[in-house]
Amino acid sequence: MEKNIGLYICSGCGIGDVLDVDALFETVNEADVSPAICKSHDFLCSKEGVEFLKAEQENEGINTFVIGACSGRVNADTFDFGASITERVNLREQVAWSHPSEGEDEEDTQMIASDNLIMGMIKADATLPVEPYIKEDISKAILIVGGGLTGLTAAKEAAKAGSDVVLVEKDKQLGGWVQGLYKQAPSKPPYTELEDTNINALIADVEGDKNIKVYTGAVIEKTKGAPCMFDITINQAGNNIEERAGSIILATGATPYNAEKLTHLGWGVTPDVITNAMFEKIAKENDGKIKRPSDGKEVESIVFIHCAGSRDEEHLPYCSAACCVESLKQAKYVKEQNPAAAVYSIYKDIRSTGQAELLYKQVQQEGVFFIKGEVTSVTEDGGMLMVEATDILTMANVYLEPVDMIVLATGMVPTSAVGEIIEEKGDEDAEKEAEKEIVQETNASTGTIIKSNLLNLAYRQGPELPELRYGFPDSHFVCFPYETRRTGIYAAGAVRQPMDHRTAIEDATGAALKAIQCITMTSDGMALHPRAGDLSLPDFEMSRCTQCKRCTEECPFGAINEDEKGNPLPEPTRCRRCGTCMGACPERIISFKNYSVSMIGKMLKNISVPEDYEEKPRILVLACENDAIPAIDMAGINRLSYNPWIRIIPVRCLGSLNLIWIADALSKGIDGVMLLGCRHGEDYQCHFIKGSELATIRSSKIAETLDRLALESERVIVDEVSIMDYDKIPMMFDEFSEKLEELGPNPMKGF
Amino acid sequence: MEEKYTSVEMKDYIVDAGAETLSLCMNCGLCTAVCPWRMVPGHISGVFKIRHMQRLGQMGMEGFEDEDVLFACTTCGMCQSNCSRSVKVIDNVRVMRSTLVEAGVLPSDLKSITGSAHANGNPWSGPREERTAWQEGLDIPAFGPDTEYFLFVCCLSAYEPRSKNIAKSIVDLLKKAGVSFGVIGNEESCCGESMRKIGDEELWQRLAQSNINLFKEKGVKKIITTSPHCLYTFRDEYPSLEGEFEVIHYTELLANLIKEGKLKVKNSLAKKVAFHDPCYLGRHSKIYDEPRDLLKAISEVELIELEKNRELSLCCAGGGGRIWGEVPMGERFGELRINDAVEKGIQVLTTSCPYCVNMLEDACKSLNKDDVLEVKDITEVLSPAT
Repeated sequence: MEKNIGLYICSGCGIGDVLDVDALFETVNEADVSPAICKSHDFLCSKEGVEFLKAEQENEGINTFVIGACSGRVNADTFDFGASITERVNLREQVAWSHPSEGEDEEDTQMIASDNLIMGMIKADATLPVEPYIKEDISKAILIVGGGLTGLTAAKEAAKAGSDVVLVEKDKQLGGWVQGLYKQAPSKPPYTELEDTNINALIADVEGDKNIKVYTGAVIEKTKGAPCMFDITINQAGNNIEERAGSIILATGATPYNAEKLTHLGWGVTPDVITNAMFEKIAKENDGKIKRPSDGKEVESIVFIHCAGSRDEEHLPYCSAACCVESLKQAKYVKEQNPAAAVYSIYKDIRSTGQAELLYKQVQQEGVFFIKGEVTSVTEDGGMLMVEATDILTMANVYLEPVDMIVLATGMVPTSAVGEIIEEKGDEDAEKEAEKEIVQETNASTGTIIKSNLLNLAYRQGPELPELRYGFPDSHFVCFPYETRRTGIYAAGAVRQPMDHRTAIEDATGAALKAIQCITMTSDGMALHPRAGDLSLPDFEMSRCTQCKRCTEECPFGAINEDEKGNPLPEPTRCRRCGTCMGACPERIISFKNYSVSMIGKMLKNISVPEDYEEKPRILVLACENDAIPAIDMAGINRLSYNPWIRIIPVRCLGSLNLIWIADALSKGIDGVMLLGCRHGEDYQCHFIKGSELATIRSSKIAETLDRLALESERVIVDEVSIMDYDKIPMMFDEFSEKLEELGPNPMKGF
Repeated sequence: MEEKYTSVEMKDYIVDAGAETLSLCMNCGLCTAVCPWRMVPGHISGVFKIRHMQRLGQMGMEGFEDEDVLFACTTCGMCQSNCSRSVKVIDNVRVMRSTLVEAGVLPSDLKSITGSAHANGNPWSGPREERTAWQEGLDIPAFGPDTEYFLFVCCLSAYEPRSKNIAKSIVDLLKKAGVSFGVIGNEESCCGESMRKIGDEELWQRLAQSNINLFKEKGVKKIITTSPHCLYTFRDEYPSLEGEFEVIHYTELLANLIKEGKLKVKNSLAKKVAFHDPCYLGRHSKIYDEPRDLLKAISEVELIELEKNRELSLCCAGGGGRIWGEVPMGERFGELRINDAVEKGIQVLTTSCPYCVNMLEDACKSLNKDDVLEVKDITEVLSPAT
């Protein structure tokens, strides 16, 4: 495509007051890449402004727009000119709003704007038109694994929205955990009365829906392929059935924590110490009558022990979210059978969220004793159970009157956590390879794959979803619920996070929407969140590939398989366009049509570096577009002023960072490079899972390069910023600038 | 840690006796935090924690029966008006006290009080026949078929010399305004409010029943009370014994009379005046504006609010039977009130409850502030101005 570049500068929003636009045009026209046309407008995003640009497209044949105006994070729809390439240059948040317009500093502000424009011109010039990846023979069906409350709800909601659904349940009947309940906690006003579960009506809805195909007594033998092209082998009673799906919802729920490990809470003392699941079964089988397992005596006194093995570092370190309300419900079973029964709850905190507070109040009113503390002893005496506990509300050791029965509210272990642990290949921690054992609870680090036999993925990276924590396969619970580290596969319900019915229903609906979104966007060749709509895909210049496998190993979404020789085999519809592969490739053979190593390299080489350091040092900031760029923009929006020596280049993810950029910048005389990413570690915020973590690892290897250039390693730093920390941006820049001042000017200047 | 045993029987006993909201407490501790006992040092403040006391009751545990714990509460209502679970803390306190009183256990300083109430129909050991002695020379009409209001005078104002002046001032104002009112006389008994709070439920019922029978027999429809305590029990508790009357506190009536122009305020008072909200008039009966209206009606009065006023008013420590309790100097709520008033340069501290006048005046004298600050019932300021 013959580029016909038009540069348009908006003078609105104060840009024209700060910058001398005509002077900028002069500078840009002298640069390596210069525009065919330079024009300014005082309100580009207005109706007239957009019409003006469209007229330029038509009359002047402009096919590549460089728009110097607001941040590219806003008005993306406004500045969309179809097949034309549009490059946005930030002159508002990052220049006019964050730098002074008067006095001696005016010149510096003008220099930032001209550098930004020149880099934008280079980027536009290097960007190639993108063809969307659209395959024929795609599937738009949704596979749902698990036929409990979550799976059934997801199936019903997806079908209601017009999708074909394939539902696979391992048991003979649908309904899952909820099927075994006698009653459920209140879901409607006044929130004090127990209700029937209504699961059978939901099952009937699903079974009666012609868009839903149900397989019961069936498991997933194998899942291969990619979004819109998943090939699933279902094993039903020994027969293999092939299905095709566009996206997958994992809704396999949780299993109760193993009570045999809870001897300190009385497990095994007598058969009358049971779990909440066993209690529910007794209630269901006897239509609400609670009888002791040991002798069938109707229960007149009972202790419910909340958090049995939950919120306990020795067992499950997390809260299982539903057990408090379930225990309140079960206490009510007993009180409904016998209002005079002595019912005790021993709890850490009552976590009765939302309207369940009203059930808690009701149960209190019915006279249940609530003891806040820990059970210290459970013994048997003459067929009765003797319980001692601490009560922090009276600061006393409490001795309960003898009781008939004890119920342990055991927590939830996600089904994805049950199985053999496999370390994701390429992970740093090799020691864990040795620890291959069947475990129920796990604290393995991010990225661990547990052979839980749920999806049996035919992925190079391993057969199941990588866990985030404690065996839950969520990928980023703070910002992107349902998403996992495998594109197009969503987790919902108790397998994703411990939760109650109400939340599971919400989860199911949310995951169904995500699954539909995945199919819709993938079938149009578009990237999913967070680069939603991006059509670019990585190109591999295979003639120079050394089969080092770094790209396949470092891809956070498992989007690249490999052949037996080790050549990468990308699965395009799994790709999220983060560019981690591009950063990983030592041969620099991976690039996007609109993002490449050479493109960023050319941009930074065109930053003007004054030779006299004392006056004008230069600092390059490679900033993550997901957290750092919004934070920097926010600083501008809040009119926080920051260091004028900073030049900012947005990157898709710090994971796409190539070390050559740093070497090039320093060779050119730039005094320091800051890699600004998001928080990593336990509560990471990376939109692409581990970008800033990878950048940290990679830049630790930069010392060698710096030695070669005879430069101090302090000239390169990796820093983290959260989107809320915009107020810290000026300080972060200043601190780095001061450090560089101490080091003195980059000796490469002027070479 | 201490060792304690839970008792379902004990808990059920307390709940069945009327502590219906005891189970609702979730032990957040806000009650203990807002309790006026937190504002003073000393032994009772150290041992009396209302949250803890309720917790013991909730678990049927021993420990709440300790005298300094169980009888410390002044029933001021700060806790229950702030409770997020709407626990009726005062009912719980009352019921927990009654479990002891029924067993015949009562702090010694309260024994003579309930004894007198039994024998004389008043807790002040005043002979029944002297109940009307305060009326001498006032020419107060007897309540009859044509009288609109029955004026019920608190036992304290009927017997205690200082307090008698309050009753006299009220009578003066009612007369000036031409209100149709009358008194019954020596057959009247104590309203019983404090007896009930002490935990003597049976005594309260006896006193209340005797009053109800008397009032009905005399054809009483409307009652003016001089004390907010009488107001509360007549208005909120007598109906449970079928004693339904239209009950009004004198501040409400007088404020209305001034508004209607029936009571004229002629003289001014060029002083800094504050109003102390009695717990039973304010938090318990939600009357905050009327007493202030009375003071505002006097020209040149500079009305200044105390630090804690209206819904957050600080208790005088006279409710719940505490008027008969002994508290060492330095630990009395009234002292905080007096110091606050003196710091603000207030010259007259008014209130509208005989208990409050009694407690605050004691505090004022014991702090030797009576040369700079007068404690008066609101009518004692209003009466000379009319």
